[in-house]
Amino acid sequence: MSVTSVSIGAIYARECQAEFRKAWRMPEFSLPTILLPLGFYSLFALALGQAGGRGPQLPLLATFGVYAALGPAIFGFGVGMANERQQGLLELKRVSPMPAQAIVAAKLIMCMVFAFAVVVALHGLATLAGGVRLPFLTQLGLAAIQTVSVVPFACIGLLLGLALRDQAAMAAANVAFFLLAVLGGLWMPMAAFPGWLQHFALLLPSYHAGELALHAVGLGDRYPASLHAIVALGETALFAAAALWAWRRQLASV
Amino acid sequence: MRTSHEPLVSMHGCSKRYGTVTALDGLDFELGAGLTAVLGRNGAGKSTLVGLMLGLLRPDAGEIRAFGRAPHALEVRQQRGVMLQTAGLPRPLTVRELVQLFSGYYPAPRPLEETLQRAGIADVANRRCSDLSGGQKRRVQFALAICGGPRLLVLDEPTVALDLEARHEVWKTIRDLVAEGTTVLLTTHHMEEAEALADRIVVLDRGRIVADGTQEAIKARFATRTIRCRTQLTPVQLGALPGVRNVAQAGMHVVLQTDAVEQTMRALLDRDTTATDLSIVDTELEDAFLALTRSNQDLQEVA
Repeated sequence: MSVTSVSIGAIYARECQAEFRKAWRMPEFSLPTILLPLGFYSLFALALGQAGGRGPQLPLLATFGVYAALGPAIFGFGVGMANERQQGLLELKRVSPMPAQAIVAAKLIMCMVFAFAVVVALHGLATLAGGVRLPFLTQLGLAAIQTVSVVPFACIGLLLGLALRDQAAMAAANVAFFLLAVLGGLWMPMAAFPGWLQHFALLLPSYHAGELALHAVGLGDRYPASLHAIVALGETALFAAAALWAWRRQLASV
Repeated sequence: MRTSHEPLVSMHGCSKRYGTVTALDGLDFELGAGLTAVLGRNGAGKSTLVGLMLGLLRPDAGEIRAFGRAPHALEVRQQRGVMLQTAGLPRPLTVRELVQLFSGYYPAPRPLEETLQRAGIADVANRRCSDLSGGQKRRVQFALAICGGPRLLVLDEPTVALDLEARHEVWKTIRDLVAEGTTVLLTTHHMEEAEALADRIVVLDRGRIVADGTQEAIKARFATRTIRCRTQLTPVQLGALPGVRNVAQAGMHVVLQTDAVEQTMRALLDRDTTATDLSIVDTELEDAFLALTRSNQDLQEVA
């Protein structure tokens, strides 16, 4: 019997559409994801920071943009994926005639678009209320770095979601979310921390993503941007490999 | 060379262990046309059988083919609909959106409205999955299994959590699909379900097939029928009658279990012309099932 082919592109598109619907209809996911970065930026950069040339508006735009990617990545992709696995939904999709990569791709695309939207809102806020002015290409490059930093965080979220179950996974995701944000220097500059914490930050992908964003607007630290890029890429590869391994192991043990 | 009589699914020498527990033990199984019910208690190996058949699990030993291919091949998945036991659905999506999404995976899906109708969920199609009852969720999963118009339908305990009315509705749809030529494999631990639907019943116990055949054949395989009567013969005399396997006293009556009801009856009436209150009771499938799985248990305990 011959089997007519199904457009793979159409499956990817419908899968993405379903992911957007799900995200949009879960205010417990979408509201904090949108409001936390905008709210904290308003507080730390706009309300508390003094206006003028050397104020915190620009550096905090760089790091809070990375923070905006952290939420969708850890909660939307990582925990979301682990939840669907536990519900048996992924198993059902695996035995149905759809490519398994479409599940991963659709969720990742949803998270990046979501992060990008929050990043754009953040840039708008910084420009309108914080007086930040950047050349267009610089701004675009900054937004790209911030949006792409979804990827390493998504792998970390997925690892946590696979290693732990239900409530424990959610608790661990919250802890990881705040550790990566605060100790990675996304809320306040690393210089505000004691030396040993600054050394600890060197381990965190959020620190390197934040520094890459700062370098993009000319505010980088003493290490070259290329070093941060290499470490960030290496860590991403490491977390991706670990997540893939855990994923395969979990599915095999069902 | 392939013929049209080749089984849709074949499993040869399949074993699966979880640690020290043997879930399936050298299983040989071929799935042909019609509806096959795999019957067994919890833990008999039904879900492992389904997992292997679908390519979700890998066997420790043995080989599985579906449509002549590996069970996870895309061509196989495109001709197969599946309902698993796990009950998760994406909560924020509506029933219609979800069924539409799954229909889109298949090359020639059933029309959406027809799928909703046949699964009995047309009236809740615009509700979100989070707002459904357990039975409605189960029927949505049934809809996901049939939406692609598959040649092969694999249903793992499809009517668990359904009330009586819903169960009969789903049974009717399954019967219609079989009549239209769909091959169905269904697992259940409800005798009633197997009796209502199955052309062929496979009884699974501790990872082995202990019986395999039509309903009648399964009953016949354990064809001890029961004779109840009042008689003056002693238990020893009764036990010596042809075919009798067991004699029990039930108040004023005796109950004889026999492999050959006609011979037993003839001999009984020969020797005791005063015997009265005679009745013959057929073995229910349930009894055959219990007997099959129990005797296996006894054997294991002896061994």
